[in-house]
Amino acid sequence: MRSYAAPYEDVWGPRRGRIVAAALALVFVVIVGRAAFVSFNGPDRSAVPVAKAEVARRADIVDRKGELLATTITGKSLAVDPSAVWESRDVVAAIRSVFPELGEDALTAMMADRKRQFVWVKRGLSDEQATALKNTGVEGLLFVEEPQRVYPNGRLAGHFLGYTGVDGEGLEGVERVFDAKLKLGGSALKLSLDASVQFVLEEELDRAFADFDMKGAAGIVVDANTGEVRAIASWPTMDPRQRGDQSDEAKTNRALNSRMELGSIYKPLTVAAALEAGVLQPTDRFDVSKPIKIGAVTVKDAHPLEHASSVSVTDILAYSSNIGSSEIAQRMGPQTQRIFLGRVGLLTGLKQDGPQWASPLIPARWDQTAMATVAYGHGISVSPMAFAMTYLPFANGGEYVTPTFVEPLDPETVKRTRVMSAQTAASVLGMLRTTVTTGSGKNADAKGYEVAGKTGTAEKPGPNGYDADRNITSFAAIFPASRPQYVVLVVLDEAQPRTGVNRTAAFTSATIAGKVIARAAPLLDVRPVLDVAATKSVVDAQ
Amino acid sequence: MKRLAIIGALVVSALAVAVYRAKLGAEETQGRIDELKAQVAEEEKSIAGLRADEAVLTRPERIGVIAQQQLGLQPASPGQYTASEALKQKLGEEKITLPSPADTVQAQTPAQTPGAKSQQQ
Repeated sequence: MRSYAAPYEDVWGPRRGRIVAAALALVFVVIVGRAAFVSFNGPDRSAVPVAKAEVARRADIVDRKGELLATTITGKSLAVDPSAVWESRDVVAAIRSVFPELGEDALTAMMADRKRQFVWVKRGLSDEQATALKNTGVEGLLFVEEPQRVYPNGRLAGHFLGYTGVDGEGLEGVERVFDAKLKLGGSALKLSLDASVQFVLEEELDRAFADFDMKGAAGIVVDANTGEVRAIASWPTMDPRQRGDQSDEAKTNRALNSRMELGSIYKPLTVAAALEAGVLQPTDRFDVSKPIKIGAVTVKDAHPLEHASSVSVTDILAYSSNIGSSEIAQRMGPQTQRIFLGRVGLLTGLKQDGPQWASPLIPARWDQTAMATVAYGHGISVSPMAFAMTYLPFANGGEYVTPTFVEPLDPETVKRTRVMSAQTAASVLGMLRTTVTTGSGKNADAKGYEVAGKTGTAEKPGPNGYDADRNITSFAAIFPASRPQYVVLVVLDEAQPRTGVNRTAAFTSATIAGKVIARAAPLLDVRPVLDVAATKSVVDAQ
Repeated sequence: MKRLAIIGALVVSALAVAVYRAKLGAEETQGRIDELKAQVAEEEKSIAGLRADEAVLTRPERIGVIAQQQLGLQPASPGQYTASEALKQKLGEEKITLPSPADTVQAQTPAQTPGAKSQQQ
C-alpha cells in the first residue's frame, strides 16, 4: 500500500509559475502582435463606401474669363420596371403625356417582358418633366439619378462646344476633341473664347438673317498677335442640348468644316506675295481697262474702275479689280503664288492637336489659268477658319501664327513663321485701311476702331459653271489699323437683301463685320482711336 | 508568481480593452469620414447645380435685355472713352471738384443714386 505520510514535495510549483508566465507572455505577444497587425494591415475601409463617389465627374468647360459653357449636374432619367406594371396602357399614356414624341408601340413593347425589372425610357429629364411624370401616379416608373451634361448658355458656341452622348462620351466639337482630358475630371477646360464676344458675333449673324435671306453664315474673331480664337460662330446655330437631333444644315460648322471659294479677300495675299517676291512695288500702276486672257480664262471686272488705264495697287484692292490682281499674279508666276499660299496655311489641313479645319480643295494643276483665278479667290476652296489666319501677318508685322483654342497659351504649341517682311505687312495693311475709308469696305468702318479690310464676292459653282445668282460674300478685317489687335472674318452664304437688290459683300458681309467690330471692340478692351493723325499714318505707310 | 500572473492578466485585459477602443474609435472616425465625404460630394453636386443656374441667369442674351430695359444701358460707344491725361485736363478746365467722402455717403441715399433715377424713368 502506498504511504501518504511522506511530506508533500511540490516539485511542480516553480515550474507551474514559469509555465503560467510563459503562457501569459505568449498571449501578450499574440495580442500585441495582433494589435500591431490590425493597426498596420487592417482593411482599407476608406475605399469601400465612397467607391461610387470616386468616379470622376466630367470636367467643366469655361471661357477665358471663367464663364461656364458646359458642366455636369446630377439629373434624373426615366426607367420603367415592367414586373411592377399592372396595366401597361395607363403607363404608356402617362409617359406619352409628357413625351408625346415617344411611340406608343415602342413603349408597349418595352413593358411586354414582365420578367424584366429595368428598362431605360428617357435619359436626362428636366425637373418639370420629372414632376409631371410623378404627378401621373402610375406604377412602375423609376427615377434614376445620374450625371447629366448641360450647356447653361444654350446655343452659344454650340457648334464649337459640340455635345456628349447620354452616357457622357464626347461626340462632337470640343467635347469630342478633348474627351480624354474632360473624362479625367478635375479643373475646368478653359477655352480661348470670350463668351461675350461670341454672343455679339452670333447675335449679329442672327440679325443678318433679318436683313438678308441667307442660307448660312460664319464668323471668326482672332487675336492678331497670339492666334487665340476669341469667337467662332456658324449660322444657323446648333443647340448642344439636342445632342445632334437637328437638321444637317444646323449641324454643319461652317467656320471650321465647310470649304468655300471666298473671292476677292484673296487679293491682299496676291499683292503681298508679289511684294515679297520683289516683282511689285506699291507705287506701280496697272492698266485694267480691258479684260485680259491668261491661260484658258478671260479675266473681267464686274464694275470697271475709274481711270482704269492707270490704277494704283491700292486702287486694285480698294475697288477690287480682278484684272489688276491677275496681272500682279502674272508677274510672280504660279509657283511663287502657290508657295506663298502654302506658307500662310491655305494648302493643307491644320497640323496640330485640337479642333481641325476642313482640308482645302486646291487646283490639281497650278498653271496659268489656276494662278489667274486664285489671284482673286476663285478655284480654291478653304474653310473660313483657315482663311482668317492668313490676315494675321498683315496685322502683326508679317508672322503667320497657328490658331489656339484653349488657355493657358502654350508657347511650345504655338508656331510662328515669318511669311512676309514687316514692310510688306505694313504696306498691305495701309491699302486695306484705304479700302475701308474710300473703297468697297466703307460699310465696315466702325467709328473709332480704324477698320482695315477687304470685301469678297464669289459666285458659287454649280452644275453648269458659276452661278451669278448665288454668292458667297465675305469681309476680312483687321482693327484698329494703327495698332492692330484683332482679325475678324464674316462670311455669308447666298445672302440676298430682303429690300433692294445689291447683294455684294460691300453691302452684306462688310456691314455685318462693322457691327461686330463696333460691339466686340469694347469687350476686348480695345481702346477706340479718336486721333485722326494715327489713322493717317497707317494709310501713308502703304 | 501569482502576483505576476494577476498583473499580466490585468495588462492583457487593459490592452485588449485599449485595442477594442482603438478599433471602435477608428471605425467611428472612418464612418464620420465617409459621412463627410458623402456630404462633400452632395455639396459639390449642389454647387455644380447652382453654378449652372448662375450661368443660365447671367447669360448675355438675358442680362443684355434686362440692362437695356430696366437700367437703360447701352453698349459703350467710342465717344465715352478718353485718355487719363485728357480727363485730368477736362476736370481742370471745367473746375469740377471731386465729391468729399461725406458727399459720397449722402449721394448714396436711394433717391439720389443714378440707378434709382433710371428706375423712375
